[in-house]
Amino acid sequence: MSRYRFLLKKIAWSVFTIFFVLILNFFLFRVLPGDPARAGVKDPRMKKEAVEAIRVRFGLDKPVINCFQSLNPIELGDCAVNPFDTQFFIYLRNLTRGEFGISFHTNRPVSDVLLERLWNTILLIGAGQILSIIVGIAFGVFAAWKARTTIDYSALITGLVAWSLPTFWLGIILLFWGSNNGFPIGGKATPGTSSYPFLYQAGDVFKHMLLPTLTYTIVFMGEYMLVMRSSLLDVLAEDYILTAKAKGLSTFQILKDHALKNAMLPIVTIIAINLGFTVAGAIQIEAVFSWPGLGGAIFEAVNRRDYPVLQGAFLLIAVSVIIANLIADLTYSYLDPRVHSE
Amino acid sequence: MAVQELELKPAVPSSPLLGFWNTFKKNRMAVVGLVMLVVIVFIAVFADALAPYDPKSYEGIQSGDVYNAPSAAHWFGTDDAGKDVLSSFMYGARISLIVGFFAAFISIFIGGLFGIVAGFFGGRVENFLMRFTDLMLVIPDLPLIVVIVALTRPNLLNIIFVIGLLGWTTTARIVRSQTLAVKSRKFVLRARAIGAGNWHIIANHILPLVMPILVVNAILVISLAILSESTLSFLGLGDPTAISWGQMLNFAFGRGAMSAGAWWALVVPGFGIVWVVLGLTLLGNGLEQVLNPRLEAHHLMPGRPTVQTEPVGDESASVEHKPTKRKESPLLLDVRNLSVNYVNEGVVAKAVQNVSFQLHEGELMGLVGESGCGKTTLMMALLRLLPAAGEIANGHVYYGGRDLAMLTEEEMADLRWKGISIIFQGAMNALNPVRTVGDQIREAISKHIPNYPPGTLEERVVELLELVGIAAEHKDHFPHQYSGGMRQRVMIAMALSCNPQIVIADEPTTALDVMIQAQILELLDNLRRKLGLAIIFVTHDLGVVAEMCDSVLVMYGGVTAEYADVDTIYNAPLHPYTQELLKAFPDLSKPERKLTSIPGYPPKLNELPPGCRFAPRCPQAFARCSVELPKLHELADAHFVSCHLVENGK
Repeated sequence: MSRYRFLLKKIAWSVFTIFFVLILNFFLFRVLPGDPARAGVKDPRMKKEAVEAIRVRFGLDKPVINCFQSLNPIELGDCAVNPFDTQFFIYLRNLTRGEFGISFHTNRPVSDVLLERLWNTILLIGAGQILSIIVGIAFGVFAAWKARTTIDYSALITGLVAWSLPTFWLGIILLFWGSNNGFPIGGKATPGTSSYPFLYQAGDVFKHMLLPTLTYTIVFMGEYMLVMRSSLLDVLAEDYILTAKAKGLSTFQILKDHALKNAMLPIVTIIAINLGFTVAGAIQIEAVFSWPGLGGAIFEAVNRRDYPVLQGAFLLIAVSVIIANLIADLTYSYLDPRVHSE
Repeated sequence: MAVQELELKPAVPSSPLLGFWNTFKKNRMAVVGLVMLVVIVFIAVFADALAPYDPKSYEGIQSGDVYNAPSAAHWFGTDDAGKDVLSSFMYGARISLIVGFFAAFISIFIGGLFGIVAGFFGGRVENFLMRFTDLMLVIPDLPLIVVIVALTRPNLLNIIFVIGLLGWTTTARIVRSQTLAVKSRKFVLRARAIGAGNWHIIANHILPLVMPILVVNAILVISLAILSESTLSFLGLGDPTAISWGQMLNFAFGRGAMSAGAWWALVVPGFGIVWVVLGLTLLGNGLEQVLNPRLEAHHLMPGRPTVQTEPVGDESASVEHKPTKRKESPLLLDVRNLSVNYVNEGVVAKAVQNVSFQLHEGELMGLVGESGCGKTTLMMALLRLLPAAGEIANGHVYYGGRDLAMLTEEEMADLRWKGISIIFQGAMNALNPVRTVGDQIREAISKHIPNYPPGTLEERVVELLELVGIAAEHKDHFPHQYSGGMRQRVMIAMALSCNPQIVIADEPTTALDVMIQAQILELLDNLRRKLGLAIIFVTHDLGVVAEMCDSVLVMYGGVTAEYADVDTIYNAPLHPYTQELLKAFPDLSKPERKLTSIPGYPPKLNELPPGCRFAPRCPQAFARCSVELPKLHELADAHFVSCHLVENGK
């Protein structure tokens, strides 16, 4: 009973958060100077009829929302206008249909552009997360177990240094090194290999992924290691570890059966809190390695002032992070029986 | 604590400030971090004087100067425009530090305000603020910053504000929980009781206590802001008129440094970022260690090996304790001259010295003495469960024909629980919170009796639980679903699960209410009679000892004060400490007697008095007592007393 209420509360909160992000996204792009559609419309080379056509197509002739014709500059409008006939409602309706607008640069629907890129980002983040979590936890456990030894101190320093590295800079350095050592210089696949057999293509993608994933792993491993180390140190000082030792369990059994699960709890929280940083890391890595993911899309959209893509990418990233956060929360409640009884 | 004092009275260079500085000095991490920061701040402040070239001027630059390798004229080479990388690096430090500090200031201000207000006022205000914080926490920072900066004009002020306005969430959470912890402290309540206004309390009582945590957090926030700025600039959203390290990297990366092989243009600015962020990280981590010291010692650290130093002179009174009351039953445990030291940074504290006792089958021995007299240490030494700093300095623990003090860790692990098990003091945390109770009992059985018939294992768990009065259906519950008394019973069931010969019960009933205490004691006593266990019962409760025990060992300051059978201890105690303990305990047969307590406290283990440990508190002490440690004298009927009075009396 309490478990279902807990789940329901978490899900409701996530839905609310997503709704907040949708609204934020809408107003951000209308209050701040660079209105997406306006920027495109202002192109002096366009004919007046074409501009008008775009305005109608994007619903820019409609008021932004009740009482406001425009938000930048602020222009009051009719409050009695049909709420379904405002830009805000059209925006929401388009979203439910999966329409994020048309890219200024490629003239393709943003949703098409972003969807294929979302998978590339998930591939990169997934591989990087799994590796950094495994490596970070393994080192963290080892450091905590060997607390106050040289092994522990070197692990601690390594973790702090790794944490201090700017992701994009580490990427640049690795790319610089890799390009002189036979690694592909960026992208996801070697151009012109799309007709090659599947295994060849998979191997090619794998080669392209090595350095970005390595960058990701090094940067994120540091924090996981530090958190795991300190969390395990706390757990290993608990009374129940002494009980386990008094029961005659071996060090390995104690670590495996009594310490790890408990020490993993903060890691799950950190993974959830870190999702934002994860995305930040992905943006930088994709920018450096020209990886065709969402982060790369943001990087390109910024440089081309391609606002619909920027808006869509932000929305997609934010919603993904919120959902991933929900999953982390639910995992936590599954791992720790105390959570939903409190 | 030191920092709080520092915040309160900044003008007075009082000892807390000095104390803080002394601890700080010893923390290598913090000092290295501070030095790294001082160096870079120095470079940033004096860039005008230090830089060999002016990065804004194109004077004297020729077309061949692009991406020149490091040379005597340009230590770190030149960049894509032929400018000196070292000079740009020095000026870049300014921009990065300015953005970092100012953005962090905004974040800390907002986060601190939200945190304190939420924590202090509670209720709806807190609910609203923390919900808002959660909301902002879950929205990914960098994409939002990128979007906002891309939509506005990328100048330094905008960047500072955007980073600052989005970076306060962690601060708000940390400050809130610290405020919650602080606001129920006595002096805050007192200030409130005398009618101090809310903002007065916040400014004068809460803020100083929140400050240390805020400072540590501020350091982290600064480093995050610097990283954000460099990332923004690298992505092409930096202020084109203010060349930061990120901007330098953006130019170098976007303008062919890679293909020109100009590693210096890529390495140097990045090195600056790493230097500052690492300096801040080291300082932050170090400060946290200073403000919030942790032992970082745990139960799996390898213990110190048994030393077996030669017993020295007077302190070596070896005892051959002859079984008195229960001669007929066989000897189980024979502890001889056991000494335990705690060694911390070369300082040796003698926690237990030369303690000897014997335990027979079915015997219940009481181990009494005030807190800090070495009772628990002695018990832990028997099972070789001493913390990492503890070592058996001397002595033997004979059990089953072997000396436990000399066994390897593996041999010891096999023997624990099967031979000797222990019920810990305060079992609140002695059970693993994420595993079911039944599971934790089952684990002990399958460890020591590996080929236990699997079908009957479950029955055994139920049987054990029922033995201590817990219904079988609670088997699959988690410890947090149990009450304190039930947890203590589970500990007892667990301690009995492998049919041990000896059970050590280390104050098994402290922190439980009287009814439960009585039940648990009765349970232990019944089990002893039913199963023929030998029990060592560690307690403060002399009533329980009188009622249940066969023999009593009184410890004081790590040594045996008196050791005899229970009747002797109660009716003819010879050690003044035993006598005083008994006076402090109500006796129903003499209701008119006044209860007296012993003034003072037991000695600290690192400041043991030179003579008798009890001399400073002893009402019968005379000159010799404060000079010479008394021997352990054996009187008739295996009655052992360590007191000079006994010698004089004979």
